[in-house]
Parts: sequence; structure tokens; C-alpha cells
Amino acid sequence: MKAWRSVLPHLGYDLPPDLTPERAEGPVSTGLPLELVRQSISMREWWDIPEEVVAQYRKYRPTPLWRATAFEQEIDARVPVYVKYEGGNISGSHKLNTALAQAFYYKRAGITEVVTGTGAGQWGTALAAACAAFGLRCTVFMVGGSLRDKPYRGSLMRLLGATVHASPSGLTSLKEGGNSLALAIGEAVEYARGGEGRAFCIGSGENYSILHQSVIGLEAAEQLQALGAEVDTVVGSVGAGSNFGGVALPFHARHRAGEAEAVRLLAVESSATPKLTRGVYAYDHTDATGSGPMEAMYSIGSSFPIPASHSAGLRFHGAAKLLSAMRHHGSIDAVAVGQREALDAGRRFAVSELVVPAPESGHALAGAARAARESERGVLVCVSGHGLLDLSAYDQLLAGRVRDLAADDGALAAATAGLRLVEADLTGVK
Amino acid sequence: MTTTHSGRDEVAEAVKRLVIRESRLSLSPADIADDEPLNGAVLRINSLGFLGMLVRLEDELDVTLPDDLFTGKVFTVVSDLVDVVLRAVEEHR
Repeated sequence: MKAWRSVLPHLGYDLPPDLTPERAEGPVSTGLPLELVRQSISMREWWDIPEEVVAQYRKYRPTPLWRATAFEQEIDARVPVYVKYEGGNISGSHKLNTALAQAFYYKRAGITEVVTGTGAGQWGTALAAACAAFGLRCTVFMVGGSLRDKPYRGSLMRLLGATVHASPSGLTSLKEGGNSLALAIGEAVEYARGGEGRAFCIGSGENYSILHQSVIGLEAAEQLQALGAEVDTVVGSVGAGSNFGGVALPFHARHRAGEAEAVRLLAVESSATPKLTRGVYAYDHTDATGSGPMEAMYSIGSSFPIPASHSAGLRFHGAAKLLSAMRHHGSIDAVAVGQREALDAGRRFAVSELVVPAPESGHALAGAARAARESERGVLVCVSGHGLLDLSAYDQLLAGRVRDLAADDGALAAATAGLRLVEADLTGVK
Repeated sequence: MTTTHSGRDEVAEAVKRLVIRESRLSLSPADIADDEPLNGAVLRINSLGFLGMLVRLEDELDVTLPDDLFTGKVFTVVSDLVDVVLRAVEEHR
């Protein structure tokens, strides 16, 4: 794969502009490489992947795609189910696809240390690996409870040379505020401001992350074509949305460009963080400091108290602004799945296909199982990561101790009550 | 290369047009002083908006700004930005 494909020129509308928080004042500075900004806002469709990044991709790409016939039998599917598996690299997830690109661009911009926040640790591990590949220092703030539950995530990041802090860390002024992932991200933002050559690097939701992840869907489309296979539904789990965007949006772009028929894009989220199915389309913060711009997103509110779950990667309060806009315009379907159904889908996938999926990917598989009973031609599902560092979740499933934690109506209403709805400001719509 | 007045004027006007647009104001470039704070009582430029603005500036001035141009620099007033963009325009056009 030599180029990423952007969906932006195929939307037919602009994304609502970000808003500056009222309390932000003073000088402006930035550590974000301009190329990432170009990739976020330009209407260019194809972006050459830098040779250095292609060389890294060759170590684990193309990733496997196969027809999961044993899983089809397990779930009583009426159509073929094809799996695109992104868990086979050292980070264990799709996140390496953008981490490598981001590390490359930060290095080229003169940055020497990148700082980030991570929930489940998949993003932190991916960034640690990418920094090792490109010779950058890496500092990771990981949600403390998640780090305690999955100590080997920390081990892997340290093995790759990263410095790992459990959040709240005591190293920044942030002690509490927002949910735990928003706090870890907030700590990373503050820490990055405090040192020369440091830059904060965000994981999933930005347009450029989703662009880099387009390798998943572009490869999958080629692999399906080589198999002579057709699908009418593309499924992925949504935390902020990068693996879903990666697998699904190239199919949307193909259709809009007149190259293929339309497919149903099905986003599967956790019923504990149901932003796309029960959230509001509003301007909200992306981190707990509240110092960054407010983005138009489907959100359950950055102050919503998200309960602990086995799918820390889905525990973000908002969906990426690109996916949110597409949801708003009717291009994306969404369902929420409880963690018991998700882990059970993961278990059934493990026993049938002999691959242990991450709990996050279990949500996608549960969504795919539902879609496989509705689809006419076939389902493509992205299994974004492996679950070999999440085995305690499967232990709890087998012991009957997994509880579903659907978001409470009152708490959702309270956390979104003060948000400014996007409907009032669709200045970007053509 | 020496800086011509017209070169600086062209860059300054483009920069001011964009900071006005980014701040969602209805002013003309002539209304913005060189020492106007980028993020103050009149103009409201945040870091990400700032970056998006630079990319639009590239289109407007037909120049590619280098990735490391802004790393580690702090911009307080409009002329800080004009100076850096002008230097890049002269070197990279």
C-alpha cells in the first residue's frame, strides 16, 4: 500500500469548525506538524505514504483477511463473514498504523519527545513502538486502574523504551476531573507543555489518524476483490473511531467515487459509553484540562462518570468529529453492545477461529453477528486487536462475573445538559 | 534575498485576512494592527485553529511551509506570525 485515501472530499459538506474555549487566552504555540494539519483539513483525496513509514508497514502489512466460516456456524450467520485482523503487530492493535505515521512527522518537525495518554494501553504501546522505530523519546500517561489490571501493558511499553506513568500521576496539576481517560490525556497535554522538544500526541479521533487507518479498508477491499467476495456491511468497534473509520470509510469513498455499490457502515459502541446511539451532537472538550478547542462530536459529556469496564479502549466520552458528522448526515449506523455480549462474541470467535480478540473487538464481533443475520451479501468486520493481555476479562466471563453497565438516563442528561448543540451552528454545511 | 515592502505587505494582508476569518470577525485587514494580540480581546486564535490557518495560508501564498517552522516558537502578536511566514515565503517560494 503506497497511499492513504481521505474521505473528506467525498462528504459533500464541511466539518463544523472547532471552537476556542472561553477561558483560553495568551500567546499561541504549537507542536503539531503541519503535514498532519494538511491531512486533517485538505480536500486532497490520496496521500503518498512516506517511504520510511512504508518500510515499517512492510514488517506487518498486509494484515490477514479471511472468511471466518467456523465463526459463521457459531453465530448462525446467513451470509459470509470476513475478518480483517489488525492484532498481529507488536502493539497488538491497529493503532500502530497511525502511531508510525505520527512519530515520523513529529520527528521531521524537530520534536524529540512525544507525550500521550492511553486507556487500555494499546495506543500507548503503539506509540512506544513507533518512537522506538524512529528514535524518539516517549512518555505515556495510562489510566491507573487499567495499568493495574493489565500490568503487562506497562511492561511492553517499558520494553520498547517508553516512560510510563499511572494517571493520576501527581506530576501535573490535574488530580481529578472528567473521566479517567480524559484525565490521562489532560495530564499528557499539561506535561507536554512543560519541556523543550516535547509534543502532545493524540491517538484516535483526529482526521489524520483516521486517514492513516485507511490502509485497513483499502487493503481489505483489495483482498475481498482477490477472493471474488462481496460484502454489503462493514463493521468496527468505536472508542473514538479510528479502527472503524479505517475499515469503513474507504468503502464509503469508493461508493461516492462511483467505484462500488454502497455498503452499510455499522459502528459498534459499548452500552457503557453510548455516544452514537444515546449521546447528543454537540461541542465538547476532548480532554480534562478543557484548554483545547471544543469539537463537534456525538458525546455523552466529558464529565460523564464512565464505569470501569473490560473495554478501556471504548471508554471515551465522544466520537471522532469526522464520524460524528457522518452519523449526523445519516451515513453511519450505530448499535450499542453490552460487555457480556461482547466478551461472549469474543469467546465464540476464539473457540471457532482460534484467535483471541480484544474485548473492544468483541463488540465489533457481536455487532457483526447481529449484522450477519440481516445482511444479504456478506459482512466485513475489523478485529482491531488481540486479547492476550486481556485474559482476566475472559476469566471473569467464564466465572459468570461480568456485569452489563448500561449508561443511566439521568446521568447522561446531566452530563450533556450544558453542551451547545451543533444543530444551532451548521455553518460548514454546503 | 531582500525583503520588499510589497512582499511584506502581501504576506501581512494575507495573514490578517486569515486571523480575522479564524476569529469569525467582520473586519478588514487594515483594521488589524501589527501588534494586535493573536489571542486577546479582538482576535481569538487557538493552537489548532492557528495551524489550520497556516495551511490555508500556504494555498493563498502558493508556498509550502516547512514542518519544523513553528516547533518550539511562541506567537504573541500578528507581526510575530507575519515575520515567520515572510521568511518561509522568501526561502521556499
